[in-house]
Amino acid sequence: MAQAVQDGGGLAITDAAGAARVRRRRAVNAWSWRAFLAVVMLALFGPLVILVLFSFNDSSVLAFPLEGFTTEWYKAAFQDPTLREAIANSFIVALIVAPLCLVLGTLAAFGLTRFRFRGRGAIGGLVGAPLVLPWLIIGIAALMAYARANIDLSLKTVIATQTICTFPLVTAIVAAQLFRFQKVQEEAAIDLGCSRLQVLRHIIMPHIAPALAAAGIFAFTWSFNNYEISAFTLGFQQTFPVWVYSSVRNPDHTAIVNAISTVISVAQIIIIWFALRLLRSRTDDEGAKSLIAGTEAVAAAAKT
Amino acid sequence: MASVGEILEIPSEAKDGGKRPKGPAKGALGILFAPVTLLIIFFLLPLLIMVQMSIVKFPPRVDSGYTLSHYTEVLTNPLNPHIAWTTFTIATTAMAVMLVIAMPLAYFMVFKAKKWELFLLLSLVLADELAPVVKVYAWQVILGRNGIFNWLIPGPPVDWLLYSRFAVILTLATTYITYTTIPIYAAMKAIEPSMFEAATDLGAGWWQQSRKILIPLAAPGIFVAMILVYIPMLTDFVTSDIVGGAGSYMMGQRVRDLILGQGDWGTGSALTFLLLAMSVLLSLVAYRLARLNRIDA
Repeated sequence: MAQAVQDGGGLAITDAAGAARVRRRRAVNAWSWRAFLAVVMLALFGPLVILVLFSFNDSSVLAFPLEGFTTEWYKAAFQDPTLREAIANSFIVALIVAPLCLVLGTLAAFGLTRFRFRGRGAIGGLVGAPLVLPWLIIGIAALMAYARANIDLSLKTVIATQTICTFPLVTAIVAAQLFRFQKVQEEAAIDLGCSRLQVLRHIIMPHIAPALAAAGIFAFTWSFNNYEISAFTLGFQQTFPVWVYSSVRNPDHTAIVNAISTVISVAQIIIIWFALRLLRSRTDDEGAKSLIAGTEAVAAAAKT
Repeated sequence: MASVGEILEIPSEAKDGGKRPKGPAKGALGILFAPVTLLIIFFLLPLLIMVQMSIVKFPPRVDSGYTLSHYTEVLTNPLNPHIAWTTFTIATTAMAVMLVIAMPLAYFMVFKAKKWELFLLLSLVLADELAPVVKVYAWQVILGRNGIFNWLIPGPPVDWLLYSRFAVILTLATTYITYTTIPIYAAMKAIEPSMFEAATDLGAGWWQQSRKILIPLAAPGIFVAMILVYIPMLTDFVTSDIVGGAGSYMMGQRVRDLILGQGDWGTGSALTFLLLAMSVLLSLVAYRLARLNRIDA
């Protein structure tokens, strides 16, 4: 792994054969890195490529070699009423969950980073707990609680539980950003006669805007993609992941699943890619990296 | 939970010097009221109700009296240790596979990728943001009897590729690789590259350098990755449902089947509570290890 550094040892070698050996070793090194990265990329995106290929394949059987080009699965997918409803439901849920999470998450971030009070550790723990606990457990607990309270399962129950699981993530992202810039700036602005609202608009918002954007995108995609919570708190309706789940074992549906998965995945890739690029243009390169890495590190917990 | 402060990057009291605005506690109460209340109602309370269900005789009827029989059932049913062992084996193997890939990948991103660093980071994030259910399903297409592997490999179709432990481990490893790589990447970011140069000058080979510099300094990241990846893998049921078979029946599936399939809330919630306790315990241990290692470094 530390070969790059080892190459520095080549400096000591002066004869031509030695130099050639070093060059050769460097080339071998570079190629083994490339091969390694190619395998990683293949594992990450290969499945998606396969889905895209099969979505245009003129056969409902998932088998190589491919048979011919068709777009009939796309037509079928868009005409399937259950599927259309499932996608609409996922959009409704995500469009409500994401803004709710932004508001709740930002409030919690401010409360936890800008104030000091007794019990802050406990509240921090409470806010962070949904990020560490597996969704399976949260989903089961929610199912039982709704039953106990005689609340019928519906999109509303999905929205409530998803919001609870996702807003701590916004808190984490925004809190990291709030912690990064000094509170002194806010205090200076107040000393210079700014109102609270002006401080919020001119000092705080510009600082946390990239974090809010990132948090919003992630909250939306998690909500849209979430299967675990929906599986336990959904009534008779379906969301997109639940529909996929129930369709993958049905041989008649696989071609349609391929087509719609392609559409959704490509849309997600385009949106996230451009959003993250935009983020990068708003901050510097290192800022973007730390934001993405930080976001993901926390995001990771939310998957549990 | 201690690990949470770490993940949330909530500043500790010590870092948090300086002047506070007037009436801090009151302001905090106003700001935190909505999120905390919602967490109590929709998160804490349901967990307590779940615990209650696990000790009620005939859940969900809470007036039927209390009993510990559900726990005895969970602990004495010979099926459970078997499933627990399968889950442990699968999760541990997948974790090992991911560490073997994530360590060099993170190393490459931090020290060698240069302008490709952001691209690789974005790719990892993107791959993770694709709908998990769809990703898992795609592996079904690849590994199936008529899938791409069997098409490429000459000879009679290989059946153990899909609906097997192999498929579950492979799919888990590709699903969670982002969460293994990124914390390790973040930890390696803090390593001074000159350390490796110094080690080379002193005659250390790459293996020695990895063992004495890279791994110890990346250790906090490795432990964070284990909290973030190992615990969810232990409760994963989506992967094994779609690409797994009879030999890869995991704890998450067991719990889901008990509760949604058989409607056995007592045993189901007792088992879930044990999983919950284990998750908390594991994350505390990993968090402690991460802390200890940081101090050593």
